[in-house]
Amino acid sequence: MTTHAAIHTSLWGENALPLRPASQVMNLERLGALHQSRLSFMRTLVRRIFRERWSIEPAIFELDKDGYGTVVYQVDAPNGTFSFVLFSDYLSPDERNDRVIATKWDLTMALVEGKVDRQYVEQLRLNVPKQEAGRVDSRVFVLSRANRSSRNFDYVVDQLAAGQQPEISKIAEVGYLYRTTAVYGSGKLGMADWEKVHSKHQDFARPFSGEMFVCLMLRNFSLLQVEHIAQHRSPESFGAMQPEIKRYFGIGNSTGLGMAPYLVNHPLLINQWVEMRELALARIRTLGTIDQQVMQTLSELIERSAQHTSETITDDDWQTQNNKVVIEDMAKLSSFIATGFSSWNEIIAHSEQHCSLQGQEMLVCVMLEMYPELVDELEDFHCADEQLDLDPLMPTTQLKDIIERRYDWALAIDFDAEGARETYWYRSEEKMEPRLGSVADIEGKKKQMALGVGYAVRKCYNHLSAYIEQHPDHTTARFMVAHPKLRGIVRRIQGMNRCIYGDIQANLLDRDVLPMHLLRCKLAFFGVSKFDPRSRLWVRNTMFQGAPLLENIGKPFNDDWFMPLAPKQ
Amino acid sequence: MNISMNELKATLKRCFEASGYFVGNYEDAANMVLWLEKHGLNGLNELKQALPYIGDDFDKPLSNVIYEDSTSAIIDAHHRSALNCIAAAVDLAHAKALESGIATVTVHNCHNRMFILKALTDRGRAGISAAAYWKNGSTKVSEHTAAIRSGQRYPSYSEAVANLSNNDDDKQALTIICSSRVDLTSSLQNTNSTFISPKQVEKNKQHTVEYGVEIEEDVWAEINRIGAGVLVENTERSQQDAGGR
Repeated sequence: MTTHAAIHTSLWGENALPLRPASQVMNLERLGALHQSRLSFMRTLVRRIFRERWSIEPAIFELDKDGYGTVVYQVDAPNGTFSFVLFSDYLSPDERNDRVIATKWDLTMALVEGKVDRQYVEQLRLNVPKQEAGRVDSRVFVLSRANRSSRNFDYVVDQLAAGQQPEISKIAEVGYLYRTTAVYGSGKLGMADWEKVHSKHQDFARPFSGEMFVCLMLRNFSLLQVEHIAQHRSPESFGAMQPEIKRYFGIGNSTGLGMAPYLVNHPLLINQWVEMRELALARIRTLGTIDQQVMQTLSELIERSAQHTSETITDDDWQTQNNKVVIEDMAKLSSFIATGFSSWNEIIAHSEQHCSLQGQEMLVCVMLEMYPELVDELEDFHCADEQLDLDPLMPTTQLKDIIERRYDWALAIDFDAEGARETYWYRSEEKMEPRLGSVADIEGKKKQMALGVGYAVRKCYNHLSAYIEQHPDHTTARFMVAHPKLRGIVRRIQGMNRCIYGDIQANLLDRDVLPMHLLRCKLAFFGVSKFDPRSRLWVRNTMFQGAPLLENIGKPFNDDWFMPLAPKQ
Repeated sequence: MNISMNELKATLKRCFEASGYFVGNYEDAANMVLWLEKHGLNGLNELKQALPYIGDDFDKPLSNVIYEDSTSAIIDAHHRSALNCIAAAVDLAHAKALESGIATVTVHNCHNRMFILKALTDRGRAGISAAAYWKNGSTKVSEHTAAIRSGQRYPSYSEAVANLSNNDDDKQALTIICSSRVDLTSSLQNTNSTFISPKQVEKNKQHTVEYGVEIEEDVWAEINRIGAGVLVENTERSQQDAGGR
């Protein structure tokens, strides 16, 4: 097992591993080309549940023949007992809306500490189905809701009721029965703060672990519910779904702009995730042995990645083209592997010369997949203390040097160029939904969120340069008294300078900025697949497709569900 | 009503942002209020006193250093709330302490000085010991002091009603002492003072982390009302800015 000290030595100093540079890794387009990996949060959660053999059993199961009602699962994990509470209610098709502004859903759910009694379930019933319009207490630490897939749900029920299996080709099109439209944690709506979850509930003390767990439970329930309804509808002809088909069902997710500000507002956390991923890659490049078995596994995973991509169906032309290029990239990598290679650096260099960013990052994920002994232990180091501290003693000349070195990308942007400051981000009064506007809207521009880090750095640099001319010997503290408006950005520059990777290197105010890259970056860390952009501002995707089923807990566990493929029918 | 710390912080950030606080400062201000409340030191009561004047600072001059040498400085805060100026003053004391071993910074014309506790506490984490002292009130004068040792996470705090007459010269003043060499502790000489130990401050925090924050509904409504100033009206066109689903 590794330690913070060992990780620090691998990242910093003379004995550091050869990490990819920040200028390469933190490029927004590359971050938007990331894929799921064995360090993704869904993978790490499933590993934990299966290796620790969590007990997850229904404590209350009250569904009518149409699948409406209340279900409570009791979750016994090594360090505590929790309850997953779910309410299934009728929703007319015209009320079904994936946007954050919706007010009713097919399913609403809560993850609660401890066991729940009837009285508490009733209290939850008064609030959980209302989501943002309700209030819960600090026993609850995740809230979520989901809507049925109009394309799949009734079809699957009909098939099972008729004793038939769903067609794989249909599931390949839409790989889920439900789509979750929001998963809330971290103290929203009266829930427990992350500080409590992190310090008290070790079983969920990794970033987004509780949120991922709720989605996994939703997937489990969706499979159970279609069988339940089909069986009640037609007990004589009903046939259960085959396990391999069940496993191919994931949970749909619809993600909008809300995720984008998160990445900018949590730079230390995002840096930590990137550092662990890059450290895993650097370990493999340095320590990963290459033999015949490794070559064979590599070829299989490259082929699987191509096949998985070819099974990804989207109406979006941009994504379709990207997927096509990834398939071509995988073919190029296969050809290269066939000629033989002796070090990981060779194949990485080859991919950087001949493959798209998505192809390059797919190779990285494949490499991570092959060395669990070098990678998996890093999953315990995804948390970060998110305090950006000001260093008041730092000489202003040093601060200037840092900007020139770490934010050269920002200084290289001409913010006076046409379109360079045309986009702004704002919050709507409608559920505070983040939105993206253009300069045409004066009111929105006045109220824009401070997401233009690059531009703020440039302004800071200009003020700082002028200040240093007057006061070359002053400290940052003295500069801050003179320029208090720069406090936020100075603290950020100093804080991010303590990180290997630092800030995302992009001008988020640019007219042509693609928020999709930000969404996709975070979703890749979560571990989703099958990206299906519905515009440049929101994306559908699939969670937990191919993950083992809960009924398999305690049985032999194969952690290999990377880039899942459609089962043969 | 009961809210989480995260809800309080997010709402306060909007509230301060809408009141004209700038980036970096509205986060500091929100954290200062939350820190006091989280640690059982009545942050929301302090905020209640400050709320009616929260927008007034926008038009006031920025703080400036009116005297400075290697171990001390005097800052005029121009009747600003500590919420938007005290962090920089503590930073200056911190920097001077690192250079000289011990330093004093006095801030004049500063309101809501109780909010210094968060900034003071952060020094402990950064390996600096810090103490502060201030008096409050015009008819009934109270005294306050807080201190944290180097490397510690929780400060001590004491307050007392003082048998002192009002002195125009020291109204709204606050003295900060920082040291990188000496561990500072502080307690009032006043025999009627209340003393809250670092241990008690820690216990208060644990309770808040477990159960969240109790807030009066009208205070909650007011900070939400002010914070709504950063939200943009919902229109059909603005819905397209979210993807137009």
